[in-house]
Amino acid sequence: MQHNQTVRRRLQNGKGYLYLAPSLIILLVFTIYPLIKAFMMSFCEDYSIINGSFKGVNLQNYQDLFADDVFLKALSNTSIYVVFVVPVSILLSLVIAVLIHNAARGKAIFQTLYFLPYVTSVIAIGIVWSWIFNSNYGLLNYFLSLFGIDAIPWLNDPQYALAALIIFSIWKSLAFNILIFLSGLSSISQDIYQAARIDSTPQMRVFFKITVPQLRPIIVYAFLMGLINAFKVYNEVFSLFQSKAGPANSAITVVYYIYDKFYNSGDYGVASAAAVVLFIIILVLTMVQKFIAKEKEAA
Amino acid sequence: MKRKSILCVTLAAALAAGSLAGCGTPASESSAASADTTSAQASAENGAAIQPCEVTFWHAMTGQQETTLTELTDQFNAENEYGIQVTLVNQGSYNDLSTKLTANAAADTLPDLSQAYNSWLIPYLDKVVHLDDFVANDYDNYEDIMEGYREETSQFGFINAMPFNKSTYVYFYNKTMFDELGLEAPETWDDLLNIGKTFQEEKGLVSLGFDDMAGMLEATLRQNGSDYVNEEGAQFNTEAGQQALDFIMEMYNNDYARLVGEDNYFSGPFSNQLIPAYVGSSTGVSYITHEGWELGVAPLPGNTEKAANTAGTNIVMFSKDENQQKAAWEYLKFLTSTDATVKWAMDTGYLPVRTSAYESETYQEFMAGDATATASYAQTDAFFSSPAFDGSYDIQNAVNAKLEELILNKADSTTAMQELVDAVNGAL
Repeated sequence: MQHNQTVRRRLQNGKGYLYLAPSLIILLVFTIYPLIKAFMMSFCEDYSIINGSFKGVNLQNYQDLFADDVFLKALSNTSIYVVFVVPVSILLSLVIAVLIHNAARGKAIFQTLYFLPYVTSVIAIGIVWSWIFNSNYGLLNYFLSLFGIDAIPWLNDPQYALAALIIFSIWKSLAFNILIFLSGLSSISQDIYQAARIDSTPQMRVFFKITVPQLRPIIVYAFLMGLINAFKVYNEVFSLFQSKAGPANSAITVVYYIYDKFYNSGDYGVASAAAVVLFIIILVLTMVQKFIAKEKEAA
Repeated sequence: MKRKSILCVTLAAALAAGSLAGCGTPASESSAASADTTSAQASAENGAAIQPCEVTFWHAMTGQQETTLTELTDQFNAENEYGIQVTLVNQGSYNDLSTKLTANAAADTLPDLSQAYNSWLIPYLDKVVHLDDFVANDYDNYEDIMEGYREETSQFGFINAMPFNKSTYVYFYNKTMFDELGLEAPETWDDLLNIGKTFQEEKGLVSLGFDDMAGMLEATLRQNGSDYVNEEGAQFNTEAGQQALDFIMEMYNNDYARLVGEDNYFSGPFSNQLIPAYVGSSTGVSYITHEGWELGVAPLPGNTEKAANTAGTNIVMFSKDENQQKAAWEYLKFLTSTDATVKWAMDTGYLPVRTSAYESETYQEFMAGDATATASYAQTDAFFSSPAFDGSYDIQNAVNAKLEELILNKADSTTAMQELVDAVNGAL
């Protein structure tokens, strides 16, 4: 009897793994294997992907990497980018999501409008935004001129290039965040709001005491995904500056650096080392963030 | 519970970073591909029976260029006596093509033929077929190929390619605006300074731009008899080099020239008469629209010497099989023949690769009505190509960024020299 049950459970487990197999295999081949491979390549001096040869196993790639001003610049740019894009995007999208949610009419239209950037090609959007930022004909400078602000050479001046990238990326990341906040909002029980209405609680208080705490898990999720995605920024740079990293490389990011080192310079080892560094940063930040979220929940 | 969440986080981060590590690591690796089938031991005698076969040719030509390439290829497929079928495969942009070649070199699945710049080949140079024997035994008048192209395609110590879609940098100018101010196309640096000054004073206009900054630096140095870079590092920290930088910084610091910035290419602002002249590829002429004003095209100005950048790719052979090599060679012979290169040049705006093609009646007739072709031909003696070596891409990248920075900061030319030399040597 006992034996029979074990067999049956095993069979059922086997079936479960069978269902998981396709995605597990894809994950292994396209994610886990490259990850291990990148780790290995990063310790091989002068690694060649063409014939797998290398000079020796050491930390040379990491030494070269941290001696490279361009990488340090990429690292600092990426950090600044993350610090601005992630919180601002979440804040804005939360406000917009609540407004859409409470809109009396045209909810569906607004939802669609705000979701459009998510389904449009980044390259196409990038070209549009490069025109918005144009120093002579750009909409943004026209708008600023209404307030008496002089034309800003957004894409020509290294001082402003990163700012332009951040503005563009915040706008672009709104779409996804709004979508998940909207679905979160509709799952909050109306009873709580009704109770608040009976007590005639002010709107602001409702927002901070009911909406935000109820959305907590979703905000944490959005923060986590935003953080990971922001560290991997590449397409936005490529499309906004049209296959450059901004004037005088001023808007280079870590992933841009990795791609350039790998495909254009052929420095496979250094590119892998940079990928490993980025992996560790994301890993550590994700763990810290998850830890803080847990602590707060417990408190 | 706790362990589970850490595992979960680790997996999430692994997923995230993995998808980008994936972009850095094509999951293929050829095991010590030292089997040297690459040097053509072919006893390529004329017409030594070639078995019918399919030859794959990767390219990055679009629009009219692709149409003409297809026409020529169809002609070859129909007319060749061996039943060779050349299949064209468009791989997108040059960047895409370069990326795919690298990935396929690693997987050992390179095509028979591909367009390529020399600098792309460095990581997989041992997979490139040496063409020396083919040229020596089975080619019609190799000396007829323009000297600059022969030098470029033999810079690795063997003939690594046949020149194909070649262009050169020329000086495009708005003849209507020049006439109005009594100006002529420049022949010297002094002319450029004078044009810059006149336009600033009379119209408040910046009068010159360069699409390719590193190319501009190299050409300017060579125009003053200075070297540029090699495997050892910067070679321009000399008096001649300093003079060239003095001139460059004078042009930019006085707003006689400007960076391309958000315009990406100068053909746009030039077409809109926002800048009266620019230096760019001769094929860029197809992007210039000139309505209501006359377009002028001139060879690049010089100083102590003349020097004009060449650009455009060559065709490289990767076939391993002897029969494939012979078949691919038949196609290369055809594409670089006088008739084919004339047709190619006239349809696309690229330049012929042979002297006899320039001298042919058909092309002479065409050139008489084509200012770009005339200007290009006038500077064939001044052609040079940038050297390709391990690290040359990094140098070009570093020089582009450093030049932009120096110009934006209006640096003086002594600082410019110091920082450019550091940038070049630091990139190696």
